[in-house]
Amino acid sequence: MSEKNKTVQEKLTELSELVAWFQSAAFSLEEAFEKFKKAEALAEEIEKDLTSLKNDIKIVKKKFDGAI
Amino acid sequence: MENVPLSVGDFVALTNQTLDYAYPSVAVVGEVAEFKISQGKWVSFKLKDNEAVVNCFMAIYQLRVPLADGMKVLVIAGPKLSPKGYFNLNIRTVKPVGEGAIKKGFELLKEKLEKEGLFAPERKRSLPRIPSSIGVITSTESAAYADFTKIISERWGGLSIEVAHTQVQGTPAADQMIEAVRYFNGLEVMPEVLVIIRGGGSAEDLQSFNDELLARAIAESRIPTLVGVGHEIDHTLADMVADVRAATPTNAAEIVVPDRREIIARAHQQATSLGYQTVQAIEQYSLRTREQLDAAFRRIQEKLDGTFERLGTLRVAVAQLNPENVLRRGYALVRGDATIGSAIEIETANELITAEVRDVRKK
Repeated sequence: MSEKNKTVQEKLTELSELVAWFQSAAFSLEEAFEKFKKAEALAEEIEKDLTSLKNDIKIVKKKFDGAI
Repeated sequence: MENVPLSVGDFVALTNQTLDYAYPSVAVVGEVAEFKISQGKWVSFKLKDNEAVVNCFMAIYQLRVPLADGMKVLVIAGPKLSPKGYFNLNIRTVKPVGEGAIKKGFELLKEKLEKEGLFAPERKRSLPRIPSSIGVITSTESAAYADFTKIISERWGGLSIEVAHTQVQGTPAADQMIEAVRYFNGLEVMPEVLVIIRGGGSAEDLQSFNDELLARAIAESRIPTLVGVGHEIDHTLADMVADVRAATPTNAAEIVVPDRREIIARAHQQATSLGYQTVQAIEQYSLRTREQLDAAFRRIQEKLDGTFERLGTLRVAVAQLNPENVLRRGYALVRGDATIGSAIEIETANELITAEVRDVRKK
């Protein structure tokens, strides 16, 4: 799945994973800078997505007349 | 008609026909007395006021709120003369009226549902932190709905929201909401959260949310439920059985989705903190390297010091073995053959002396 097709939730999860990596034993200085740049890009994308996305509100067509 | 003799059965049938025509449905308010349940199926009580008493009869499944003697109720019923000659009100619906009766009915049902464990904390499910789809049950004409959609749109985007329009007060409201709860639970792809909201109102207005069957439908919902009815101080059975209670419809919108501004700020803060952590890590690495180098230098220094110390000791030992030092202490070095008449050389600290051997004895 490309970055563009990811949902906000997936991007937030990815950002959390990056944060967790920095706290984990897998942390290495060689990869840290690249991961930091990725986190910055994700934060930008999350802001862009959340600012532009609109909610889709639909009224259910079915009539609820209380026949239960 | 008055001249036509009727059988008793025909008379009763005719009377019922007339009653049905004249009063297909009557609404009567009175106080409950002699309330009883027979065979777990039938409910009977007397409805009375200061002037009269009338018998009431209904099936237990029609009873949506527990009754007790002394409660003031409104019954919707059809008058009937039974074949045994009793005049009854065959009740279709009954609901408490007046603050006291509503409160009493609420307490009785609350006690009943509590005993069944419907409010138990272990039954409560948590809502997804960021749902992608929400089902809403409310009146789309209400201010509560307008507030809910306004707040939710301010806070979050990209949601799929399906709204079931129902009445939220009055006799049909509870059944309509039950039908809507079942509708959402029956969908092939169910919403991730089911939100039921209604704005503030009197105790009587909110009574539909104290309906036993609605409370049970919410408790049985496979979709996690969030109920926000009335104001902060209003408590209904619907919100007690819900997985999460919201104080108001606006609060429901605040609970169901996070605030995008907070999430954006947190995302940036997380990214920035990773930058700090990288810089910190670099500093730590440099510090550790410096410390390791210092330790190496210290070790070399220690080795050198030890070597110089040993060298000093050896120098002292070597110096002590130097014959010059022995001569300086007053001793002399004698060279030559120890035979009588031969010449020997005697070396002291300051002089070289040649002497002749005159006598040689064994010690």
